Amino acid sequence: MTPIPHKTTHASRTAGLTYILKKSLLSALVALVLFSLMVGVRTEAGSDGQLTYWTRFGEVAALVAGVFGGSIVIELLRQWIGPAGAEKLVPPAVQSGMSFVGRYLAPALLIFTLLVPVIFYNQRYILDLAILVLTYVMLGWGLNVVVGLAGLLDLGYVAFYAVGAYSYALLATNFGWSFWVCLPLAGILAAFWGVLLGFPVLRLRGDYLAIVTLAFGEIIRLVIINWQSLTGGPNGVPGIPRPSFFGIPLDNSDDGLAAKLGIEYSPTHRIVFLFYLILALALLTNWVTIRLRRLPIGRAWEALREDEVACRALGINTTTTKLTAFATGAMFGGFAGAFFATRQGFISPESFTFQESALVLAIVVLGGMGSQLGVALAALAMIGGFELFRGLETYRMLVFGMAMVLIMIWRPRGLIGHRAPTVYLTKAQAISSDLVKEGHG
Amino acid sequence: MTSASTPLLAIRSLRAAYGKIEALKGVDVEINAGEIVALIGANGAGKSTLMMTIFGKPRARAGQILYEGRDITDVPTHEIAHLRIAQSPEGRRIFPRMSVAENLQMGADATGCTDSERDATLARVFSLFPRLKERYAQRGGTLSGGEQQMLAIGRALMSRPRLLLLDEPSLGLAPLIARQIFDAIRTLNRQDGLTVLIVEQNANHALKLAHRGYVMVNGLITLAGTGAELLQRPEIRAAYLEGGRHG
Repeated sequence: MTPIPHKTTHASRTAGLTYILKKSLLSALVALVLFSLMVGVRTEAGSDGQLTYWTRFGEVAALVAGVFGGSIVIELLRQWIGPAGAEKLVPPAVQSGMSFVGRYLAPALLIFTLLVPVIFYNQRYILDLAILVLTYVMLGWGLNVVVGLAGLLDLGYVAFYAVGAYSYALLATNFGWSFWVCLPLAGILAAFWGVLLGFPVLRLRGDYLAIVTLAFGEIIRLVIINWQSLTGGPNGVPGIPRPSFFGIPLDNSDDGLAAKLGIEYSPTHRIVFLFYLILALALLTNWVTIRLRRLPIGRAWEALREDEVACRALGINTTTTKLTAFATGAMFGGFAGAFFATRQGFISPESFTFQESALVLAIVVLGGMGSQLGVALAALAMIGGFELFRGLETYRMLVFGMAMVLIMIWRPRGLIGHRAPTVYLTKAQAISSDLVKEGHG
Repeated sequence: MTSASTPLLAIRSLRAAYGKIEALKGVDVEINAGEIVALIGANGAGKSTLMMTIFGKPRARAGQILYEGRDITDVPTHEIAHLRIAQSPEGRRIFPRMSVAENLQMGADATGCTDSERDATLARVFSLFPRLKERYAQRGGTLSGGEQQMLAIGRALMSRPRLLLLDEPSLGLAPLIARQIFDAIRTLNRQDGLTVLIVEQNANHALKLAHRGYVMVNGLITLAGTGAELLQRPEIRAAYLEGGRHG
């Protein structure tokens, strides 16, 4: 990549000024037309039922001026921070600083996460929230295999989450099997359903695939609701056993872990245990994904995302490649589902609506498709942020909508669009996404 | 091994169609080991279809494809590459968001070679296309058109093929770059004994490079001969330029 000479930057910026003014004037004009009737004339029913109205031109003027100024600010921001201007305006010192942060961010986050139960031991709310965030990190990492690596847009990921949750719930309540036996079973069952979904959609891509996976998610949920004799229908499955510490229950009894260790029992022990359990599961997902990416199968997933015809010509069996991607992603979804069931102690179809699929997909897209760290950060931002803005009540959806639009404008590849290569010649050389434009040569 | 009489690839009265539109109407082509064979013809003559049909997409409706005397007409697409037939598809089709290194590794992955074999092939690819070594860590999509074509050929070579199918390697390239590509193909043929089937619209270039050539019009082979012979035929330029109307 040759750096773009500064001359062009200046030229485009001065040319941009008239463009900005034009665009802002246009926005102001649209605002004037809209607001002159919506705000400018106020009508109300008078005391005797007759129509009374009065004008509010002051407010209209203020709103139009606001739109004009606001659109200038937005355009300026877009030119300065936007993807087109990123490499021109970020000074090298800041860039090297960012790469330093980038290198140590993941380990620092991991250490912090490990210490969360120690730091926030007495804050049950934060621990619960952290467990929730980690669940979504794991779901995001699982879906990342399907969407981020293999490029198969899956809108029904919650189906596998549900399969995992119900697998554990039903096996544990009906047969009394322990969590540690059911966990792999839940994963296997979910993977099985992943393959089942995979077969009919082998020839589909993009929008068509999205629609079928969306339908699949709904089918699973509807089956769960209607198969009352097995799943309890809308009433859900109550009384799901809590996980034990490898056979030792985490309760107040004489065989409990607290009694065995000779420490005083506290309900927080179980929360801390759950925290480390989901952390371990999430890290397992991450580790497996990172390992797979360096193996031929992982590279084949990514190549499949890029060009299916070329893959076939190179001797890749696209059928098995797609099915393994669906199965792997589904398996992690199943693990997360089993964890969800044991944590909640009660599950019902309400927990597995399309909204969950959309949320997990948003996490993956927002984080940067294929980026493990990006997905983790996005899960933290989405779930943690959602809690943070709880005070805003109904407006928090508005805040999130806006945040997502802004991120997609400024970082169309997601928070971390950088993709680490998996094959090296001599030394690792990463090409930042900032240096590479969307749309390929 | 192939005896001198059996061609490496023999295509016998091959027919293929997209739905109701018949693209190949009974094509016969032979490629002997160690040859460069050019297939020329206008747009829509069926050249690329022939290439794709060898790889089983679309499947042949009738006829046979024999590779080293073995019928591979019904072999699944992904297994063709394991027979040491490699393809550089039309429009290059490199993996744009993967690095050059990963693109090349993808070629080696499917056929499962040892690390030392892979490194030797990689060294060979780099000696042919030094530009790829310079761009090793770069994303495929950031390469120039010519470099992408080099990468597409290099990726195909990584599977250590005996037969290389090249679909329009000079498409959209500057003449100088196209010449580099053709030189590399000649080198591969002479030094490594690689057999090459090259589909080209650039008839002049392709026929100069090739030992033998076929002219395809409307899904049929209308002319065959050595490269030099074909270049001298007056109707060649007409057939090439006017395409379908001439057949």
